[in-house]
Amino acid sequence: MANKKGNDEEFHPTGTVVVLVIFVITLIAIWATIYMILVGRGGTL
Amino acid sequence: MNQYQVPTAEKKLIGSHILVAILALALGSFFGPLQAFEHAGWDFYVYLKPLFKSYYQGLTVHGVLNALVWTTFFIMGFLTFNVVFGLKRPLKNMLLAKVGFWMMVVGVVAAAIPILANEATVLFTFYPPLKANWAFYVGLTLVVVGSWVEGWGMFMTYTAWRKENKDERTPFIAFASLVTALLWQICTLGVAVEILTMLLPWSLGLIDGVDPLLARTYFWFTGHPLVYFWLLPAYISWYAMLPKQAGGGKMFSDSLARLSFWMFLVLSTPIGFHHQYVDPGIPPIWKFLHSMLTFGVFFPSMMTAFTVVASLEYGARKNGGKGALAWIGKLNWNDPSVASQLLAGILFFFGGIGGLTNASYNVNLVLHNTAFIPGHFHLTVATAVTLSFIGISYWLVPYLTGRKLWQPKWATIQAWVWFVGMIIFSNSMHVLGLLGAPRRVPLNLAPYVPEEWNSRLFQVGLGGAILFISGTIYLVVMYMTVTNKQRVEKEVEVPIAESMQDPAATPAWLDRWAPWVYGSIALIVVMYGPMLFELIKNISLTSPGFRVW
Repeated sequence: MANKKGNDEEFHPTGTVVVLVIFVITLIAIWATIYMILVGRGGTL
Repeated sequence: MNQYQVPTAEKKLIGSHILVAILALALGSFFGPLQAFEHAGWDFYVYLKPLFKSYYQGLTVHGVLNALVWTTFFIMGFLTFNVVFGLKRPLKNMLLAKVGFWMMVVGVVAAAIPILANEATVLFTFYPPLKANWAFYVGLTLVVVGSWVEGWGMFMTYTAWRKENKDERTPFIAFASLVTALLWQICTLGVAVEILTMLLPWSLGLIDGVDPLLARTYFWFTGHPLVYFWLLPAYISWYAMLPKQAGGGKMFSDSLARLSFWMFLVLSTPIGFHHQYVDPGIPPIWKFLHSMLTFGVFFPSMMTAFTVVASLEYGARKNGGKGALAWIGKLNWNDPSVASQLLAGILFFFGGIGGLTNASYNVNLVLHNTAFIPGHFHLTVATAVTLSFIGISYWLVPYLTGRKLWQPKWATIQAWVWFVGMIIFSNSMHVLGLLGAPRRVPLNLAPYVPEEWNSRLFQVGLGGAILFISGTIYLVVMYMTVTNKQRVEKEVEVPIAESMQDPAATPAWLDRWAPWVYGSIALIVVMYGPMLFELIKNISLTSPGFRVW
């Protein structure tokens, strides 16, 4: 178990962080686009 | 390979669930493309007139069979498998499981008869004052109660296991399946109360009217956690099976995985008002509070995304994967089960974003009741869930039947065709919604369709056609597999990814039920109690039933 853990501890999920950063940027971009549509239609839609 | 041998009786029971699920998917999926074709101006309903009377009848068949029957049967079968295989013991009470299963089957038949007779064209949300034949409501009740009975059987099996394994951590796939079954038991109380106290007596003529607002509140008590009832079984596979299949990976964190399941249990029910932002009669403060808790679900969702992607990355890098993203190419894309689930996950990336925009109190006003919503849930339930279940079936059906998967290459093609079809279909639905196209409308007949919608409506039809091809390939692969004369040489290995961290090191509080169950109930009482009290106190059973089809 100790060996297994030692090998696994060397793993740093940098690719995962990149994927999640892309996700958050895409999320903000899409949300903001729809928010601007809302604003563009005026306060009462 | 020395894996637990699931008894034949359990295998048959699980297989029966999968069979009913796939039959429901087959019939329901036939009507999906018809809706899409109608939008594109190719109305096939005129040719089906003697059998199916309207677009709305087809939409009801599609929604009920695909969103309710396919999912519920597949899930109950898969959860049963996970509990039995995970705990390494047969079901404690097989009779109970069989009773539950047959109640569900009878329920589906009872609901199907009025739907096919055009007496229950109320769509899968069955909002009153649309009024269906009483048999439809009885059928739905039987499906729900049958699934409860099956859940009780799983809990009894767990209790028996726990007595013999007092200090053990519950194996993850069993643990996560039990949490999912419990979530279902709690959340379906809403729809059970709706049907038994209002819709059924109303359809039988025992009361004259209904209160649509109270009915919708009960419905969405169930309706939102229903989404997690669909998603969590896919998550179980993504967390604990896919990493092994995709490249010999391990589950990145057993503790994070368990914590996220508990958070889903606690948070997914008391947030239903975010589906009722435009309903009058619900004060804005309650809508706001539910919207805040909805964003709370973002945390276990991101924990899931992190843990699953990290588990995949671990396997890919072990197999030589390099770079920030290039490692994705090292995943086992040639395995149809893997390809299906990875593609499901990629599209769920966008489904999650759509969900967050829907949940935003103000932004929702742009999207509410537009084509954006079906565009969104075709990325979630029709892709993240359905394509994952399809991927699971690519190993589970050979495992249960002992027959080789027929033409794995075709199965992989099927997943890619679904992916392409859904991108075209869902993207065009999202854009149409942003342009103001309403949902639940046969747009081919609408006189107000502006020029700018036309190209997108064509894409809806095109996407539907591609999805139909993919669905057909899936059914052919499944049929040819269960009738395949070639048997597997040895039992199919159940893909279980071991955890990087020893599960025994997982904190004990993540394997204790009481605090999480009491916490869930308390939060539901706080978030729903006052408003339900008000609505019930001022109940207004005044709305007559309508038949608009």
